Amino acid sequence: MLWRKLLRDLWSNKAAYFACLVVIVIGLMVYTSVAIVYENIVDAKNRFYFQQNFADGFARVQGMPLSEVDRLERVEGVQLLSARITKDVRVYDPDRQEGIYLRLISVNPEQASTVNHVRVIEGTALKANQDSILVDPAFFQANGLDLGSTITLIVEGKKVELVVAGTGQNPEFVYAMKTSHDLYPAPETFGIAYVPFDTMANMFQSKTLVNDIVFTLRDGYSYLQVEEQLKPLLNKYGLEYIIPREDQLSNVILTQEIASLGATVTTIPIVFLGIAAIVLYIMLRRMVEQQRGQIGTLKAFGYTGTEILFHYLAYGLILGLAGGIIGGLLGIALSYPITVLYQQFFALPDLQGQFSYRYLVFGILLSLAFSIVAAFQGSKGILRLQPAEAMRPAAPPAAKKILLERLPIIWSTLTVQGKMAMRNMFRNKLRSFFILLGIALSFSMMAVSVYFWDVGDLILTEQYTKVQVYDVKVSFATPILQKSAERELWKATGVKQVESMLEVPISLERYWLKKDVVLIGMPADASLYNVIDDNGEKVYLNDNGIYLSNSLADELQINIGSELSFKSPFTKDKTINTYVAGVISQNVGSYAYMKYDYMAELLGQGKIITSALLNINAGDIPLLKEQYLESPIIAGIEDKEQSMRQILELLASFSYTTWILVFFAGACGFAIIYSSSIISLSERQRELASLRVLGMSPKEVFEVLSFEQWVTSFVAMLIGIPLAFAMVAAMAQSIDTDLMSIPVVLAPSTFIYAAIGTIASILVAQYSVYQTINRLSLVDVLKERD
Amino acid sequence: MERTVILEGKNISRWYQMGEVRVNALQETSFQVYAGEFIVVLGPSGSGKSTMLNAIGGMDKISAGELFYKDQALHKANERALTKYRRRAVGFVFQHYNLMSNLTALENVSLSVEIATNPLRPIDVLQEVGLADRADHFPSQMSGGEQQRVAIARAIAKNPELLLCDEPTGALDFSTGIQVLKLLRKFNTEYNKTVMVITHNASIAEMADRVFYMKDGKLIDIRVIPQPVSPEEVSW
Repeated sequence: MLWRKLLRDLWSNKAAYFACLVVIVIGLMVYTSVAIVYENIVDAKNRFYFQQNFADGFARVQGMPLSEVDRLERVEGVQLLSARITKDVRVYDPDRQEGIYLRLISVNPEQASTVNHVRVIEGTALKANQDSILVDPAFFQANGLDLGSTITLIVEGKKVELVVAGTGQNPEFVYAMKTSHDLYPAPETFGIAYVPFDTMANMFQSKTLVNDIVFTLRDGYSYLQVEEQLKPLLNKYGLEYIIPREDQLSNVILTQEIASLGATVTTIPIVFLGIAAIVLYIMLRRMVEQQRGQIGTLKAFGYTGTEILFHYLAYGLILGLAGGIIGGLLGIALSYPITVLYQQFFALPDLQGQFSYRYLVFGILLSLAFSIVAAFQGSKGILRLQPAEAMRPAAPPAAKKILLERLPIIWSTLTVQGKMAMRNMFRNKLRSFFILLGIALSFSMMAVSVYFWDVGDLILTEQYTKVQVYDVKVSFATPILQKSAERELWKATGVKQVESMLEVPISLERYWLKKDVVLIGMPADASLYNVIDDNGEKVYLNDNGIYLSNSLADELQINIGSELSFKSPFTKDKTINTYVAGVISQNVGSYAYMKYDYMAELLGQGKIITSALLNINAGDIPLLKEQYLESPIIAGIEDKEQSMRQILELLASFSYTTWILVFFAGACGFAIIYSSSIISLSERQRELASLRVLGMSPKEVFEVLSFEQWVTSFVAMLIGIPLAFAMVAAMAQSIDTDLMSIPVVLAPSTFIYAAIGTIASILVAQYSVYQTINRLSLVDVLKERD
Repeated sequence: MERTVILEGKNISRWYQMGEVRVNALQETSFQVYAGEFIVVLGPSGSGKSTMLNAIGGMDKISAGELFYKDQALHKANERALTKYRRRAVGFVFQHYNLMSNLTALENVSLSVEIATNPLRPIDVLQEVGLADRADHFPSQMSGGEQQRVAIARAIAKNPELLLCDEPTGALDFSTGIQVLKLLRKFNTEYNKTVMVITHNASIAEMADRVFYMKDGKLIDIRVIPQPVSPEEVSW
């Protein structure tokens, strides 16, 4: 019979319980879907890394004879070592405006066990000495290639035709970006191709000189132990870098993404379930107070306190169970499209959507735990009630003056409705606090969503309007003399400005701290590529010294003025000393900078450059590209407009996740305001009806409730501002790496949008409350004393 | 002396549909109330007293018949017009006071003054009901009689033409009840306002100008009291 009472009680307050259920469902949906995706990705990553024998270390040299490989393999601690030729080449496609590049990686088809073994996804495996390649599936798809079709490459100025034998993937390029300068993979213009070693050796003048070494470690050996031994062996071949797996570009991004998914799994459901728990607690607390007469009667009948308590706990049980099941199932359904989304960015062949009972069960347990604890907290007062006491109506709610009344300036400006609202807020301090907290969370979640929507644009705008202000960047295949390069480029039609740039891989050293980065040398009057400080102002480089990004400086624990040394393949392992001239801000990538003349002098290779930046009429870019299409000297021509457009398109495709987040946050705000209004409404029905009898219109009565909500919401939004900053700062901290750092800058507009969103959800909630007040039957409410 | 009719009911009925049963709470009742009258409505529980008072107070609509306040047809008025009517013309006193628990006595009175067009000063009214010294107290700090006096102050501070009281002494002991009745009479005579009091306490009827007797949803008799007694003389 108590169950019937329970169902009817639930039904009579269906709107508020429904709001609470929605919040649980959202939380559980996010939890289940993200947890499943997280597990899918971690599984797929581990399996792929393991099966393809992903390297523990990566080294790049300028050129090493193949015969040296034996010596490297014998190094203690090396399990397996592969030496490869790796080159970036241009794809010849006269119909396409943009430059298309393939990174060719040599593979040895006859070797059964290799490091970074290529998995053939489609088509046939490579055979030695054949002019065929495997390309990565994303490039294959984005460029509409067919199996057996021919692809034309420009290799050292000559056209080379290769047959696409199939698609393949190795764990080095799960997230395939051309350089760490890029933000996202662009499979239309950059891909990976695997080429038989002999075929590749025949394509290049360097023949069998290898430049890329990958190795795995024997059990019990650390990366550093092996690096120590390999380094001296590789130095004489112009070691450009040697890095552990943790620093490998694709792996860094994949690991980071997994970490942020993990953070989502733990935080988001807690926030939502916490809010649902608050709502449930408030609802039950009120119901127990309202039903004290009934509770007394039940006790008088002989029901024990525990039995009655279980009755009230059942409300939490039902909500938790229903929310858990619905949210869990929706989450499982949602995990499939999210997995598909991840498949687009992370080329993990084993990544698939999977049904998981485990997370459904976990989710339900989680939801039950929150709901039952909330229900217990809300209804434990039952145990203390004595039957006789319970049957008497509760003493009239005591009221007292609040602190604000000591400030007559403010207090006297309030209408009597306003005073009622203020006192009511302070009367239910705990409840007001929870509502405040809930709205503040909902507001800051919205602000953070808007921020992430903004920050992509912000970084891009800054990167492309303040840092990379050139139109075109021409990269040379090998370093060339500054004078001749500039003279040549000035001849191109439409060129308005030419600036040289020297980019050299270096490894910075300070005591035991080491960091491999790219050092960029810029002319004194550089204006096409700028270094900017924390305030976005241009930094004019000193004649001497090195400039480091914030994250580099942190990592090397270094300040302005500190001594610092570096090595570079250009200096043949000679250590060069300099000092830190400045620390600069950098959102994309992590580079070191120097004035060109100073850098050329330190390197001692003469006035060489590796790339040139141009300002050129937009209409003349195609001509420029065509002119140098087959040039052996020019490795690539990057059109900034185009890269920017691509990234903007990609960002736009992300925007729907922002909207989903904003919607979730809004739903939360709605649920809190709505359920708290419903509670106030039923608690104060009598008071509100008396106001109507006094002659107040529904609108005026509604203002008593809404005034309270606006005050709470306003304060909550104020609290939400620092909360949003804290959230963004925490996220920035977790994202901050060599590849990317995000500025913790929340524009006022971010908060305006968040406020609009919060206010909208409050208005929707209030509208339904207003409807209820409008329908309030005065006669019925006032007839009986409850 | 020609007396103005302030309220007139013509064959008013009110029924409620309870599932398949129709409950007739008020059946074809007709009456006239004159300005400045003190009327007591007597009758047992369920006789239709409150239904009639709710209809007169603009809190409920009648199912059939015509009901006029002066020349305003209440039976035709919409919710907005009824709100306006309650605001301007009617003061209500309930059996259970229905004060706002988190407003002080003075604030409770001010609350109704805020929405009125021609109100009295809240503190003056509190003075009138003898509670000026308790202006700063909350309902939970006052006795039942005091709360009811605040409720009356709240009702009359709007300066309404019509004061409707539903069992105003029902929850009070004898002597506090008398105090409340004195206030009602004072409002009736000093301000020349119409007062209608519902009660099932027959002795209160002796202080009225006229008494309406109700039974089974019908007005069965109207008695004129030639010499109404003063509230102090009422006893039960």
